[in-house]
Amino acid sequence: MVGRGVKRKLSDCEDQMLDLPYPQQRQLVLDLCLDKLQSCQRRAEPSLHRSVLLANTLRQIQREMRQEGGPHPESSPPAPATPRHSPDLPPVPSDRPSTPVAALSSSLLCDDAQSTCTELPKGPGSEDGGKSPDLMFGSFEITNSTSYLTDLQLDDIFEDIDTSMYDPSDFSVLACPPPRGSSGASLGNDYNLKAFSTCTTSSSTLQMCLNDLDHIMEILVRS
Amino acid sequence: MAGAGGGGNDVQWCFSQVKGAIDDDVAEADIISTVEFNHSGELLATGDKGGRVVIFQQELESKNQPQCRGEYNVYSTFQSHEPEFDYLKSLEIEEKINKIRWLPQKNAAQFLLSTNDKTIKLWKISERDKRPEGYNLKEEDGRYRDPTTVTTLRVPVFQPMDLMVEASPRRVFANAHTYHINSISVNSDCETYLSADDLRINLWNLEITDRSFNIVDIKPVNMEELTEVITAAEFHPNQCNTFVYSSSKGTIRLCDMRASALCDQHSKLFEEPEDPSNRSFFSEIISSISDVKFSHSGRYMMTRDYLSVKIWDLNMESRPVETYQVHEYLRSKLCSLYENDCIFDKFECCWNGNDSVVMTGSYNNFFRMFDRGYRQDVTLEASRESSKPRSVLKPRKVCTGGKRKKDEISVDSLDFNKKILHTAWHPQDNIIAVATTNNLYIFQDKL
Repeated sequence: MVGRGVKRKLSDCEDQMLDLPYPQQRQLVLDLCLDKLQSCQRRAEPSLHRSVLLANTLRQIQREMRQEGGPHPESSPPAPATPRHSPDLPPVPSDRPSTPVAALSSSLLCDDAQSTCTELPKGPGSEDGGKSPDLMFGSFEITNSTSYLTDLQLDDIFEDIDTSMYDPSDFSVLACPPPRGSSGASLGNDYNLKAFSTCTTSSSTLQMCLNDLDHIMEILVRS
Repeated sequence: MAGAGGGGNDVQWCFSQVKGAIDDDVAEADIISTVEFNHSGELLATGDKGGRVVIFQQELESKNQPQCRGEYNVYSTFQSHEPEFDYLKSLEIEEKINKIRWLPQKNAAQFLLSTNDKTIKLWKISERDKRPEGYNLKEEDGRYRDPTTVTTLRVPVFQPMDLMVEASPRRVFANAHTYHINSISVNSDCETYLSADDLRINLWNLEITDRSFNIVDIKPVNMEELTEVITAAEFHPNQCNTFVYSSSKGTIRLCDMRASALCDQHSKLFEEPEDPSNRSFFSEIISSISDVKFSHSGRYMMTRDYLSVKIWDLNMESRPVETYQVHEYLRSKLCSLYENDCIFDKFECCWNGNDSVVMTGSYNNFFRMFDRGYRQDVTLEASRESSKPRSVLKPRKVCTGGKRKKDEISVDSLDFNKKILHTAWHPQDNIIAVATTNNLYIFQDKL
């Protein structure tokens, strides 16, 4: 049986693959195709040409399999097909996702600021092998990174970070520990409020840190 | 000029020189990535993965040895491109030289264009063999003399000095390509040139670096629909308004820049219908064209796909006029070649000076020549074993089945790591440059 991890000897003039029945030949090629597409992004020199050829081969095989009315081409259990669109970086997938694009998209999504994919990718219902090759092909653009950074307004970098959870007005409630003594109360309050009013940052991370710090302070002071 | 050799033809190819390290340990940076003769054939340039350009110059034929053509010796070496880092994608932009193209010589200096994936540079290579001497402006120790002490006017005289060859970058054409540049081609007007990446082709003026015109754009609005990329492009040798580009689907489009500013609509589309008996999973991959070259006459063009070389008449779009099989024995091995990625190798091809013979590389350090007139072909090998000076190369043969004859090599014994992707033919003489992984072989016909 010809497969991955099994050492094969090239027979005298024919690929051993040709001895296999057609569906198994096709499965072998499909497996190789998926492997290569996944490793595409890990290569030091990604090639759009190569990726397009692989994607076309994959589509062709999947189309053929679908026409035969067979089961879904991917045999492994479906991995989350819709890449997350939150600002959090998705974790590196540990198991092999079912489609090449799902595999690529999770690693490409958040580190590709210049990707052409700005629209939401299709839902899990889409069976097309080229689910969002946009994400696959979008990372091949070479950018002039230095000019990109100088052209960019700093505000733009942070504009998609969701800061709704961190309403500054909440801080004043959390940040002010219950007054220990009437004399220190107003001073303490003012100090804390003032400290927060100077923290005019749009970064949610900073606010979170401040939040934590004050929480700790609160505990320490109470005890 | 004679033909390919072998059989009834009278050309015999002899080893002339080999350049590069002898040991089998190949340094990555030394891998040759492009080879190109200049328009006179006097200079031969190579580019490598380390971003360096090495230019060899042919020595003048010695009167003592009229049977030998001049040898090629190192003329100039310079670092053309450096690696760059794209911080946004955490990707390195390789310094590998993808293509070198010479400009026709206009004055004493030589000019060439060299490109990596992203940036094209125009280099001036000039000689200095004299220097002015006899100034009386400085003291013995080099300090400038007080001008009031200079009482005589001494005109400096040019004295000969050891030849110095200087390479200096005259233009840098940057930031015009989002994808990897695969081709550059100088126009016959000698004022403009094109550069092509996977999805776009740009037209430049050699004098202007901050602007280029986009003349072909095949990027789909929705990248999901991307199924085809540009693989090579070249200007017509005589008609400055005409160029061609090839695709990963085996098509060639000829475009006329007079028709419109954006040449997305082709004037001609060259495509051969697929042979249904040869259909396989890999049909599309092996149909991808890796190189396209116009003949010197401009009447034909040649394309190279994975298994064959095709000659097209520009007046006939429906099919090539000639097809030559480079290594048909690999057709039954396509799955293995797909597995080890060899199926993605990009072989180049070239014409001889009078368009009668074409040449291309193969595996096992073999290269093939096809004589169009005599309908003959020959397989030769670039190896250290056949590297005795002026030794005649013996034609090689691959055994494709049945009993292997003596001196034949079986398909399974071929070394797929030894590939000849880049070859070049002198514009006038029977001198060829063949690049193995890290060596450059020069062969000549036996005089």
